[in-house]
Amino acid sequence: MITAQDLTKRYGDRTVVTDLSFTVRPGTVTGFLGPNGAGKSTTMRMILGLDAPTRGHATIGDRSYAAHPAPLTEVGALLEARSVHPGRTAFHHLRALAHTHGIPKSRVEHVLGLTGLTEVADRRVKGYSLGMGQRLGIAAALLGDPATVILDEPVNGLDPEGVLWIRTLLKSLAAEGRTVLVSSHLMSETALTADHLVIIGRGRLLADTTVTDFVRRSGAGTVKVVTPQAADLVRHLTAPGVTVTAEGPGHLTVHGTDAEHIGRTAAAHGIPLFELTPSTASLEEAFMDLTHDAVEYPAALEGAAA
Amino acid sequence: MTTATTVRPHRVTPARVLRSEWHKLWTIRSTWINLVATSALTLGMGVGISAAYDGTGEGGLDTVVFVLLGTQFATINLAVLGILATAGEYSTGQIRATMTAVPRRLPVLWAKAAVLAAVALPLCLWTNLLTFPLAQAFLTDTDQSAALGDPGVLRGLAGNAAALTLLTVMALGLGAVTRSIPIATGTYIGLVMIVPEVLSMLPYAVVDDAVGYFPAQALESLTAARPAPDALSPGAALLALALWAAVSLAAAATTLRRRDV
Repeated sequence: MITAQDLTKRYGDRTVVTDLSFTVRPGTVTGFLGPNGAGKSTTMRMILGLDAPTRGHATIGDRSYAAHPAPLTEVGALLEARSVHPGRTAFHHLRALAHTHGIPKSRVEHVLGLTGLTEVADRRVKGYSLGMGQRLGIAAALLGDPATVILDEPVNGLDPEGVLWIRTLLKSLAAEGRTVLVSSHLMSETALTADHLVIIGRGRLLADTTVTDFVRRSGAGTVKVVTPQAADLVRHLTAPGVTVTAEGPGHLTVHGTDAEHIGRTAAAHGIPLFELTPSTASLEEAFMDLTHDAVEYPAALEGAAA
Repeated sequence: MTTATTVRPHRVTPARVLRSEWHKLWTIRSTWINLVATSALTLGMGVGISAAYDGTGEGGLDTVVFVLLGTQFATINLAVLGILATAGEYSTGQIRATMTAVPRRLPVLWAKAAVLAAVALPLCLWTNLLTFPLAQAFLTDTDQSAALGDPGVLRGLAGNAAALTLLTVMALGLGAVTRSIPIATGTYIGLVMIVPEVLSMLPYAVVDDAVGYFPAQALESLTAARPAPDALSPGAALLALALWAAVSLAAAATTLRRRDV
């Protein structure tokens, strides 16, 4: 379990992360979302003790990462920036890391096989593609058979096959009871693997929720209805799986059925409709709505159109 | 899927960090090139200038200093090796992997210094012990002729190796403080070659005395079989170099503890 408590990081007069608190639980994949520059990488670096928080603290289980006697068996991490000497081979890179914990050579060979790097293990890393570099980073993260796995933008630079491989890997790691925290700036990608979501923008917590909840509240698949006989309509629409939320006098948001059914129901009972609008907001749009004010350098779309 | 091989929780120990740093040093091609070049240049220069020596004109120079003139390359080569061990990890990003494996950080610094010293000292010692007799074969009947058993010769050969080792450790510390290969190299060259030269031009006796404690001057005092009367004693020179290395390592340790990786 990862616990972040009031994490704050300032570089000079620039505050990158502000009073960030959240918990990542075992057995689930937690998506760590935010636009570029939201502070995701900085937060992960603070969890790993690479950066010291200006205020607050992060713990893995009962203590800070650095206080664990065998850190690589507690947390395995893939950081966004490449963390390998390009002149060393993948095998020797992993072997050197393994030596610090007395991890046997057989485990190095195992993680090389797991990440599909066995055949290139004796090549120097400088010749690796972006995808192979990511795989090596993941091999290093799994080296200590850690209880917690932290991956910063793991699908970056991966081909579709690699992306699929990551999704399967994340799910199987969580199914084994591990704590998995994976960052991304893509909601749609994260929704495919994550159960839980921690969303930040400009270093502040925007949402700490489940994927199911986020999808429900995002408005995807809902219909907006305006009618003077709201109470009547609600009565006739009531059915298993259909939820109706009153947004104001005469304004309803209907979830679980479509505009056609609502229109026919209203007509059948002589209920006038002033508005009947299916919401087309996608998951990605809902995410962008949430983080819009927190984007570091918003693109001037409106200005360009005018 | 990842539990096919079981990994028992293995603690990080100083011995394991040492083993890791040892492994890292030898799995980079430039280490081998650097060390072979260091040894070959000392040997080649020593034999070369001895073979070309016409027996006059260098009378003022100490025999061991003369034979080991090629170790001037070693003062640069080994320093580069030290700087690469620390600053090099920052330029490649390797430092993030290293510090994630050993988040207490300081054991990494001590291990790097120990590994480099354990490589540099025997390498320089054996190179010097080989270079001296080979060079002397060309120096019989000249004013530079000497035997291994002559007073101060063995001490000079060993002292030179010890001095080069301490300079390597000092450079390693500079690399860890600056985190930049060019800045660390520049600082090292400035400290070893330029600053003392500039200072010695100043017309103050106290400055002249102080210059003797600078790394390159202490190295020469330690190398000479018969130290010049105005130079440091070998013991004082060794102490000065040990202090340079210790101060550099202490600064490196402070930086490592306080700054973000």
